[in-house]
Amino acid sequence: MIRRLLRPTTLLSLLIVLIAAVMALAPGLLAPGDPLAGVTGDRLLAPGLAHPFGTDALGRDVYTRTVHGAFLSLAAATAAVLVGGIAGGAIGLVCGALRGRVGTTVDFVVMRFVDVLIAVPGILLALIVVATLGFGPWSIALGVGLGAAGSFARVMRAQVLRVRGEEYVEAAATLGVRPLTVLGRHILPNAMRPVLAMAALELGTAILSVSTISFLGFGVQPPSPEWGALVSDGRDYIATAWWLTVLPGAVIVCVVLAVTRLARVIGVER
Amino acid sequence: MSDEILSVDGLQVAYTSGRRTVEAVRGVDLSVPRGGIVALVGESGSGKSSVSQALVRRLPENGSITGGAIRFDGVDLTRVRERTLRRIRGGQIAFVPQDPNASLNPVMRIGEQIAEQIRLHAGMSRADAAKRAVEILGDVGIPHPEVRAAQYPHELSGGMKQRVLIGMAWSCDPRLVIADEPTSALDVTVQRRVLDQIEQLAETRGTAVLLVTHDLGVAKDRAQHVVVMQQGLVVDQGTTADVLGTPRTDYTRELVAAAPGLTTRRLEPTLEGDSPAEPVTHRPLLEVVGLRKTFAQGEDTFVAADDVSFVVPAGQTVALVGESGSGKTTTARMAARITQADGGLVLFRGKDITDLRGAGLREWRRSVQVVYQNPFGSLDPRMSVEALIAEPLRAFRIGSRPERARRVRDLLDSVRLPSTVAERLPAELSGGQRQRVAIARALALQPELLVLDEPVSALDVSVQTQILQVLVDLQAALGLGYLFITHDFGVVRQISDHVVVMRQGRVVEQGPAERMLTRPESDYARELIEAVPGAL
Amino acid sequence: MTQAGTSPRRALVRIARMVWPRLVQFVFVVWATYTVTFLLIRVLPGDPVLAALAVQSGDATTVDPEQLAALREEAGLAGGLVAQYFSQLGGLITGDLGTSLATGRAVTTMIADVVPGTLAIAGLALGIGIATSLIIGFLAYISPWRWVRDLLVQLPPLGVAVPAFVTGLILISVFSFTLGWFPASGARSSLGVVLPAITLAFPVGAIFFQVFSTAIREAEQSPYVFTADVKGLSRLAVFRKHILRNAMLPSVTSIGLLIGFLAGGTAVVETVFSRDGIGRIVVAAVQARDVNVIQGVIIVVAIVYALAALLVDVSYPFIDPRLRRQAANPGAAAPAAGAPADAVPANPSGSAQSTQTGSEDAR
Repeated sequence: MIRRLLRPTTLLSLLIVLIAAVMALAPGLLAPGDPLAGVTGDRLLAPGLAHPFGTDALGRDVYTRTVHGAFLSLAAATAAVLVGGIAGGAIGLVCGALRGRVGTTVDFVVMRFVDVLIAVPGILLALIVVATLGFGPWSIALGVGLGAAGSFARVMRAQVLRVRGEEYVEAAATLGVRPLTVLGRHILPNAMRPVLAMAALELGTAILSVSTISFLGFGVQPPSPEWGALVSDGRDYIATAWWLTVLPGAVIVCVVLAVTRLARVIGVER
Repeated sequence: MSDEILSVDGLQVAYTSGRRTVEAVRGVDLSVPRGGIVALVGESGSGKSSVSQALVRRLPENGSITGGAIRFDGVDLTRVRERTLRRIRGGQIAFVPQDPNASLNPVMRIGEQIAEQIRLHAGMSRADAAKRAVEILGDVGIPHPEVRAAQYPHELSGGMKQRVLIGMAWSCDPRLVIADEPTSALDVTVQRRVLDQIEQLAETRGTAVLLVTHDLGVAKDRAQHVVVMQQGLVVDQGTTADVLGTPRTDYTRELVAAAPGLTTRRLEPTLEGDSPAEPVTHRPLLEVVGLRKTFAQGEDTFVAADDVSFVVPAGQTVALVGESGSGKTTTARMAARITQADGGLVLFRGKDITDLRGAGLREWRRSVQVVYQNPFGSLDPRMSVEALIAEPLRAFRIGSRPERARRVRDLLDSVRLPSTVAERLPAELSGGQRQRVAIARALALQPELLVLDEPVSALDVSVQTQILQVLVDLQAALGLGYLFITHDFGVVRQISDHVVVMRQGRVVEQGPAERMLTRPESDYARELIEAVPGAL
Repeated sequence: MTQAGTSPRRALVRIARMVWPRLVQFVFVVWATYTVTFLLIRVLPGDPVLAALAVQSGDATTVDPEQLAALREEAGLAGGLVAQYFSQLGGLITGDLGTSLATGRAVTTMIADVVPGTLAIAGLALGIGIATSLIIGFLAYISPWRWVRDLLVQLPPLGVAVPAFVTGLILISVFSFTLGWFPASGARSSLGVVLPAITLAFPVGAIFFQVFSTAIREAEQSPYVFTADVKGLSRLAVFRKHILRNAMLPSVTSIGLLIGFLAGGTAVVETVFSRDGIGRIVVAAVQARDVNVIQGVIIVVAIVYALAALLVDVSYPFIDPRLRRQAANPGAAAPAAGAPADAVPANPSGSAQSTQTGSEDAR
């Protein structure tokens, strides 16, 4: 494990994720300025020493806004994965654990509904939730989480069924271990590992979904910064001020790549 | 022209993963005479498969030949160009791979898989090659070859698939055929026929054969020369009579002694300390009467077990023997009340436990325990050895924590494992060690009967005997009854008191081991015994 | 004894028996989609009708209750829950997807009007994505240098990690404003499909490539490729006849996944490139809190997805001989194909197990 962590790409990914965490939780450390304050005289300046990411149409420092925007993007994405993981995981666990013991009908019907969550693209599901609930990062989180719940349910169920078929689970029963204990001590821990790896991958996807929906205009209300919204702000100036879209976009890409890379490393373990 | 078709000189093969390099073959010399059969024998990890793959220059991606020469008919294969190699592969040197179930392209018809090789090396037209492929299928003893040629691999049995692979190997009249464990995945009666086929082809076509195997019995039966490998080096070689009759090294001696086909003795308990307190009376412990089980497969029903009856006396071993599909595993699982029988009775100490359920069944589990075949699969990979062995004690709330720890140590002792093993995880143990842990765990509740499902099939031969010895000793000390499932008659010879032979769900014959092994009455039982390689 | 008596009638019955359960599943998924969206709209807190009206009148403070009730009636959001459910369901069966809260038009018409535009982009993106993946996959395989392979394999995660709106904007910046090769927006010229299609082709190709290259790698390391190699076949022949055919199986299954992804991606791409399509009307609908339109689009997407999955499932036995029922072989086990995969994506090639017994070996 340690050796794998020391590979250069993995170290880089770890570093990026840590920086992202600091951006989200203590933005002031990396960008002491005020993300909402704009100096009209400094409109649309190209990246330079004073403004590493340049300034936007209202003279605000894009770097500061990007750093402060991390919290909403990452928090919403994390919330989405938690919601999806817990809800989906629970459904998958129950379906997988009960299948065959109480017949297969319940499992069948529930999984068909899960199929719906997977068949419908995550963005559309999230959009209908946002349209009903109202705009804002937490509606987005719920919507994205709903879509993710489907994938979690399916993977968790598949893992539970796989582990149930393993010999050591049957052996536990012949050793006199009670069914609930078998579930908690053997099935769940062995089924969790691939699900956790998947959760890390879903985090990357969630960050993309959240920023996409914000880009479309359904996230935070201006002037609060958020990554997708920042790119959207820069859209009108794409011909003249490329830094408004490309730099926050690059930050999104780097963080997603780093998260995905770490997810793969965790997933490959053992 | 020398009379050696293949001469290997100081061959070295290494595998690299990341920064680590493992030397699998550390300087091997061997030779194969023209038209002769040489057996390359070794256990897992000996490097024999690496040698066979190196000979056709087809090692896995992370492997490479790091030294030595391979002279085939005078040409050094380690130095030729890829294009020359491709002509030699399949045309002059052919390979019969190990696992027939995975070695054929699942989406290509059988006939085409043979024909493409013929077209490549013999330059035949499509139509001619197709015809020749059908002929070859007939040559290797496949009935209705023209029908089979149009089928896909999944429609053939394992034995048939292996014949196809053999036919493929001989299709272009090679001068050397390398057969890598060509029969390990097959039932013993099928093994024999397949090896017969190989021998026959080698004789009629004058092909040299390098037979890679872990079974010294096979080497004795089929080869004129034997090369023994251990940990990347050749430790013994010579004519079969020499190597097996007068082994030069301790290792070879060990292998010969452990080979089930080559020994006759039943293992005796090593008497340490006192003999058991009370003499064991061989009262019937477990009795099954008329057991029946059918499975539904889509629209068909498959009868796994039909009217199976036998008795397991206390302190004795009943070997339940059969090939794949015989129903022995299903029967054992019904006896252990893991699978529910569709008909018949299971009696334990005279009491009918066939329909026992719930708390009663759980309580009964303390009397009968199971040891599984796959030493890794039956141990939860995330639990330490201590936790694994103590689990049944915890489940029944037996003893306090320190008492349980003490019991675990005693159990480890009884299977001859050091107590340091207690903190390790299964992945850190060898197959033999894991199986000992499984046995220790099964003994934790002090059962009276153990049901053992092929407990040594997945282990190396030298380790097998050790485990069997442990089982024999435990039986003598604790008066345990064993229901021992196996397909290997060599193992049967070593440990059983009674033998029950099953075939396609029915009991063909049963009786005391002495008689069954020397004077079986049924044809099938006789066939099984004679099919054991190296049988005396 | 390969095909026992293939009279056309028998074949038809066999096909019907295979298709029927899938058809039932198809209907079930569509119904379930309707139910899920229905519940989402009505169960989640928040009144979309109120919000829609507020958006229309531009002011959230005073809302005319009569107007509100009328709008609710029109949109089918009035009355008891159960009544709403069944009346909407009835409409669905006849092809009526309800009325838009914002425009008052029939949702079905709205969608039908813009579908061609979306199909053009989605179809082109799918084609470009898959074609590129196949080419890269092949190059990676035949390349004799390990580093080229490693490099090529690193590309797809990039394709997935870059959000479509960033790609789209960059493409516009480079190819429209700087180079002027393609239009940045609108549907005036037919070249207008190119940039949006390329934008979507990146993630689509990346996802497909991941499935495809994994399948190739699995095939490469399998024993049957070893057999093919030691027969003396050239690398190209092994790739073409042994690896490719086996790698296509799981790749075809992933098409369902790709269609779902494309449907979501059009929302972004049509917004960035200002093109008409179902994505754009969805975005407009969200702005107007027009839940009926979103629901309509979701149902249509679900229908398309389920249809694609149905076609893939039905085509499987034609691609994978192991899934065909062979009457001549009582012992052959057909692996469970059918029902939606439990693992994403399905991999029948990995699950085929032979249960043949050695004793069937005749002499």
